[in-house]
Amino acid sequence: MKSGKSWAWVTFILGAAYFFIPLIATMEFSMRMKRGEYSFEAYRVVLGDPRFQESFTFSVVAAVFTIILGVLLVVPTAYWIRLRLPQLRPVVEFVTLLPLVIPAIVIVFGYIRMYGSNSPLPFLSSDIGTSALLVIGYATLALPYMYRAVDTGLRTIDVRTLTEAAQILGAGWTTIISRVILPNVLIAVLSGAFLTFAIVIGEFTMASLLNRPAFGPYLQNIGANRAYEPAALAIIAFVITWGCMSVIQVLSRFAPKSANRPN
Amino acid sequence: MADPFLSIQHVKKTFGPTTVVDDFNLDIERGEFVSFLGPSGCGKTTVLRMVAGFEEPTAGSIIVGGKDVTRLKPNQRNVGMVFQAYALFPNLTVAQNVAFGLKVAGVAKAESDKRVAEMLELIKLPQLGDRYPYQLSGGQQQRVALARALAPKPKLLLLDEPLSALDAKVRVSLRDEIRAIQKELGITTIFVTHDQEEALSISDRIAVMYGGKAEQVGAPFEIYNRPATKFVANFVGTLNVLEGVVSDAGSGRVRINTEEIGLKGKLNGSKTGDTLSLALRPEAIALGPRPGHDAKLSGEIADVHFLGSVIRVRVGIGGSKISLDTFNNSSTPPPNVGDKAEISFSSGDVLVLH
Repeated sequence: MKSGKSWAWVTFILGAAYFFIPLIATMEFSMRMKRGEYSFEAYRVVLGDPRFQESFTFSVVAAVFTIILGVLLVVPTAYWIRLRLPQLRPVVEFVTLLPLVIPAIVIVFGYIRMYGSNSPLPFLSSDIGTSALLVIGYATLALPYMYRAVDTGLRTIDVRTLTEAAQILGAGWTTIISRVILPNVLIAVLSGAFLTFAIVIGEFTMASLLNRPAFGPYLQNIGANRAYEPAALAIIAFVITWGCMSVIQVLSRFAPKSANRPN
Repeated sequence: MADPFLSIQHVKKTFGPTTVVDDFNLDIERGEFVSFLGPSGCGKTTVLRMVAGFEEPTAGSIIVGGKDVTRLKPNQRNVGMVFQAYALFPNLTVAQNVAFGLKVAGVAKAESDKRVAEMLELIKLPQLGDRYPYQLSGGQQQRVALARALAPKPKLLLLDEPLSALDAKVRVSLRDEIRAIQKELGITTIFVTHDQEEALSISDRIAVMYGGKAEQVGAPFEIYNRPATKFVANFVGTLNVLEGVVSDAGSGRVRINTEEIGLKGKLNGSKTGDTLSLALRPEAIALGPRPGHDAKLSGEIADVHFLGSVIRVRVGIGGSKISLDTFNNSSTPPPNVGDKAEISFSSGDVLVLH
């Protein structure tokens, strides 16, 4: 029993070392910009760089629109599949997994061919159109995470009975989705939203090939030309991602409790 | 008779090749409390769901208050429903749950608040308006579900096995409460259950269903004492079934095992030599002779179950075992297994099953 516990600690310490040593090393390196002393100079340079602010703002705005698009697309779809078309669930799950197996570069070349200036839908003929196409692409990349998060959320509530209870009280579909279903899967939606946010913030391929001023290409550019700033950026990106995860954890404590499963 | 408030006419429902409800007909008067009673899969919930609008009948029509609602969507029917699994909205408080239908209908806030308070008073939970469903017991949740269903003043109240998920004590008290509220509001109500005691105790009428059809519709007393079919007789209450052979059709004599009883006027055209299924309720049988009992059979005590106020005795007669109930009397010990016994009953209480 005691040796089992020791092994558990050894495994934990090895795992933690594997995870934290590179992180600490990166952090340590990022603070050695000024010779002979530790400082946050690299962070100051990065955060003060107007290109950082522009690209980060662009990616945050793109992430917000991607989340809105994802929620509008996924919540009604997952709800309808659970309610009326459960036999289609395996098909939809397969489709939502495709972005994991089809490389982003294939998707983006498909977009370039489909939505060029000669296309009936010439997204690429304007900046705003290209940005919209980028958001659509991001929503596709985030689909596996968003769909699974929402579907898991829907699994925790009795979708059919709640829908019928709302219907018999006079509610139409918009009311049912906005006042009954969405609030009860809100935490799941937020989980999907933060995962989407993390994906969009770091995405490089699509933004680069569609030539949009996003944070991913900026990260790559800095990484190729500077020494200490990329390490500082890596830490910043890591903090943002972990911040998102922490917010999910905090919000999940406020999830509405199910009537049948109080805990 | 005036036009019924709810009329279910020749309703049929099929799911693929399976017919779940077949030519179901029922008229319900305004303010009546009718139970659909039957075993699982008999179609009772499907009929209720068709009345609610969740299922569309394959054939037939449903008329409420003189208006054909067969093709109307559930949110256009002004019907209240209570579900077996409570179905309270977990993200809303008790008061918000009760107000949901009023808000959807666009009722002004002041009026809605007043109605919610009335409803919470009606279900005797006025202090729990701010609680969430997960903070309530099962019985409280089902009361709230009832208040939510009644708040928008529906024309019809549908109760889909609302007591099944509750423990025995709460079930009895809540069913009495439901009946009291229904009488107070005078709302026409359909109650689906597979529990015969529940149906018998609170209904004005019961529709006993089997195989998608109504086997018998009648008042509880009538259903229990004059079952129209073998299924109703077996399903409602405990029933002893004995095989008998008509020994003399003219005089109505029927032989059971080695003894004969007279059933004049009950043989419905059976001929001498025909085999009949005869049924008797346990409470109609006495151990030993009793005034007014004109039939008797001999047998042997097979087992004795002490149930508190009642002792259920089973007497072996031929190949059958007959159950009978006697009141517990502390000065008279129960009979012993293996003792010889004579049972008596009134031939008027014998049901000839067809």
